[in-house]
Amino acid sequence: MSAPSIGATDHLATPPVGPAPMVAEVRQGRWGDLWRAIRRNKKAVAGAVILLVFTVIAIFPGQIAPYDGQAMIFQPALPPSWHHLLGTTAQGQDIFSQLIWGTRLSLVIALAVGALATVLAVLVGVSAGYIGGGTDGFLSLVTDVILVLPIFPLIIVIAAYEKNAGLLTLVVVLGVLGWSYGARQLRSQTLSLRRRDFLESARVRGERKSYVILFEILPTMTSLILATFLGAAIYAVLTAAGLQFIGLGDPNSQSWGTMLYWAQNSEALFAGMAWWAIAPGLCIALLGASFALLNYAFDEISSPALRVRKLERSRFPRAEPPPPEPAGANDESVLKVQDLTVAYATDASPVVAVDPVTFDLARGEFLAIVGESGCGKSTLLYAIARLLGSPLPGEIVGGRVLFQGRDLVLLEAKELRRVRWRDISVVMQSAMNALNPVLTVADQMRDACEAHSDMSKREIEERSREVLRLVSIDPIHLHSYPHQLSGGMRQRAMIAMALLFTPDLVIMDEPTSALDVVAQRSLMVQIKELQERLGFAVIFVTHDMSLVSHFSDRLLVMYAGQVAELSETRDLFDRPLHPYSQGLLGAFPSIRGPKVQLLGIPGSPPDLARPPAGCRFAPRCPHADAGCVEAEVPLFGVNGSLVRCVKHETVG
Amino acid sequence: MRFVLRRLGFFVITLWAAITLNFLIPRLMPGNPAQAMMGQYRGRINPQAIHALEIAFGVNNHQSLLSSYFTYLGNVFRGRFGISLTFFPDQVTHEVLQALPWTLALVGVTTILAFALGTLIGLLAAWRRGGTLDSLMPPIFVITSSFPYFWLAMLAIWLFSIRFHWLPSSNGYSITDNVGWTWTFAYDAFKHALLPAMTILVTSIGAWILTMRNNTITVLTEDYVRMARAKGLRPWRIMWTYAGRNAILPNLTGFAMSLGFVVAGAILVEFVFNYPGVGWMFLHSVESEDYALMQGLFLLITVTVLTAILAADVATVILDPRTRDER
Repeated sequence: MSAPSIGATDHLATPPVGPAPMVAEVRQGRWGDLWRAIRRNKKAVAGAVILLVFTVIAIFPGQIAPYDGQAMIFQPALPPSWHHLLGTTAQGQDIFSQLIWGTRLSLVIALAVGALATVLAVLVGVSAGYIGGGTDGFLSLVTDVILVLPIFPLIIVIAAYEKNAGLLTLVVVLGVLGWSYGARQLRSQTLSLRRRDFLESARVRGERKSYVILFEILPTMTSLILATFLGAAIYAVLTAAGLQFIGLGDPNSQSWGTMLYWAQNSEALFAGMAWWAIAPGLCIALLGASFALLNYAFDEISSPALRVRKLERSRFPRAEPPPPEPAGANDESVLKVQDLTVAYATDASPVVAVDPVTFDLARGEFLAIVGESGCGKSTLLYAIARLLGSPLPGEIVGGRVLFQGRDLVLLEAKELRRVRWRDISVVMQSAMNALNPVLTVADQMRDACEAHSDMSKREIEERSREVLRLVSIDPIHLHSYPHQLSGGMRQRAMIAMALLFTPDLVIMDEPTSALDVVAQRSLMVQIKELQERLGFAVIFVTHDMSLVSHFSDRLLVMYAGQVAELSETRDLFDRPLHPYSQGLLGAFPSIRGPKVQLLGIPGSPPDLARPPAGCRFAPRCPHADAGCVEAEVPLFGVNGSLVRCVKHETVG
Repeated sequence: MRFVLRRLGFFVITLWAAITLNFLIPRLMPGNPAQAMMGQYRGRINPQAIHALEIAFGVNNHQSLLSSYFTYLGNVFRGRFGISLTFFPDQVTHEVLQALPWTLALVGVTTILAFALGTLIGLLAAWRRGGTLDSLMPPIFVITSSFPYFWLAMLAIWLFSIRFHWLPSSNGYSITDNVGWTWTFAYDAFKHALLPAMTILVTSIGAWILTMRNNTITVLTEDYVRMARAKGLRPWRIMWTYAGRNAILPNLTGFAMSLGFVVAGAILVEFVFNYPGVGWMFLHSVESEDYALMQGLFLLITVTVLTAILAADVATVILDPRTRDER
């Protein structure tokens, strides 16, 4: 049972306008979504059906069971027959009827203990997480102690002293000892919620703690609370059955565990009454399984990573690839991206995240790709590097990526591995996440070296020190773990790693955005310097146009999965052709120019599942008119630049 | 180092909680069933031993609660749990130590095996995401891990002992055997342990597989795994040192938390198979109202579980450098 920790808050990922309407929206959306997701999930349906059947049986045992389960009125030890579906016990009771009557107690215990444990878990977990400080320290300690104490033996000890424990005692003891797992999960969930905006704003509004917990926190944790309930119910079913099986509790009660106790005592297995022992156990297993299946299904629903979505390739007929260009036709370019198309599967129809993108990259060139988040720039980048797949979904469904004449899209895994790192390396946004936390920097440099060369241990160590010095890190840090380095150093170490083989192309995905402005600047200068010295080409993705203005040779502006404009950096800054580029330039202050009011771009990027007809920027464009939405807009060539705007002549 | 100290502190606190519960439970129970048990000892053992038992169970309080608590703590730390009624006049400590090796061999080995195998299978399943194995396995193991252990034990006996006569259904060794370090005895003990071991393995492995699979799936979405692919490392290398190394860390925590479940199951499995281990002796002591033995065994089980958890913590420290620098 893994923690469905992230999923429950996913709905809050998109920031709303105000806190108050959001909670209501989220609540409605959640129940509707949850219901649809449950109906689609086979495990959830199976679990729910089993549970429903048992519930019906528990409510109407008298109508379903043919006989009284307790009455010893039949011949003992009868084999299964039409009169006695599962035979009779050694005491002459009908086994099938006992099974039906026993459902009620087992189900009641499961539900009651589940409810009690959940209430306790919510009380302890949420207050610990929300109040924090010493209260949290104490409650967490209690939770952890109860979590690791062997509960079952403890219950047996209690039951041994209290032989005539009734149903209530059993439920209370099981509930009081069974809340800790859920409390732990709920606490960490609350901790992560605490820093969310909507709770901050509730605090600022001066809401009472109890109000915040009841109406702000709990609704967002529905799925985790459900998981806690189901987990506790499984534990209750199995523990109660175990106790009844060894004869603790009331041996005259009608339950599956008690049936097994009598079956074991009468040596049913040896005496040819196998069904007496098999059937009740099967019911316990089924009831437990129904809770477990539901639990697992909720886990899947609340953490989408656990589900596999398959992209229907048939929707994207692969166009006949154009004949390969004769080698040497254009020796200038290190990379030619042609009509590269990327799509990914969603629960609804597939989404095209990169709609044919074409560009060339010359040897030693610095190309910056800019655009708002969600415009497909990272997807494009990782498609070029053949690194799509989780966490960035997507598949290349068309086009080519010619790297030094070879189409990376068609390369087999083994051939691809040979190109990687030696010829193309990657630098990611956050080294904190991109470096393996359990290996030292040296380890991580070594495995790359071992994969692509037969350098000796000493040579690898030498080369590692050398590249660290390249990015001005003292080589004494070589044997540090990533967490022991500062943010800036980690980022540099990752760049150093990318330069181990001095590749022809380094792909950089916002490598400076995790740093403060000063560190950003100095890292940019260093990257540019290294690039000029070592001569590798760079594709640099960023959302910050000003950052790359002094470093890139060309700029590729992406909007809604398409190239909006591709120009020389200087040209684009001096005379942006696309209204979107103009908007981006208007969104940050110029250092040299006169004081102007900063203009953002109104609205937000379109949903790629339903791109607008015609020009995709038209809904947000100040210059748009009816002509813009008539047809797909092609790229127009203007003085060596490319621009996707029908009005480029007047707008630009 | 902070991490290790913190975990050691936690170990001590939990142990103290268990000992205190052991002291309090007989006192809090209505009726005082321990009084009845004490009657059976009177006149049979010396007054000093009687006194120790009285303190343990809170019968005939002529001492204040606090002072008897400290006397009790003292007795526990010197390993004095009193005299067993069932194995009269044997010391509880002596009896318990006889049962321990059987349980360590059966439950200990099986649990480690289940954890190792389950972790491996979970890793492989997540690695081959969406394959036949991966799509069939989760529902199957969700179901098997909700089987009651004792019921599976009964099924195993019915199938392999009664129907096919392949394996013995009861005891840890044949009564005709001489207990000792001989090959015949080892083989015989192995044959007796096989069915209970398989029962524990089959029911407990599912949980490890599922948690490891889910952990790995989460880890596979991490940037460092993508980075490893970008570096062109071999798939098995990425699987072990990038995905596996990181995914096993939460699984070790999970190991600590789920151990109680395994112990509960193992107690019942020993009971069903009449296996001469701690679990069987524990339930036997409950049945015969031998409270001194029962409470001694409860503490032993707690200490064993806590030690296993401590071992998992040590493994975490070895595998996760971040815990070593925790401040």
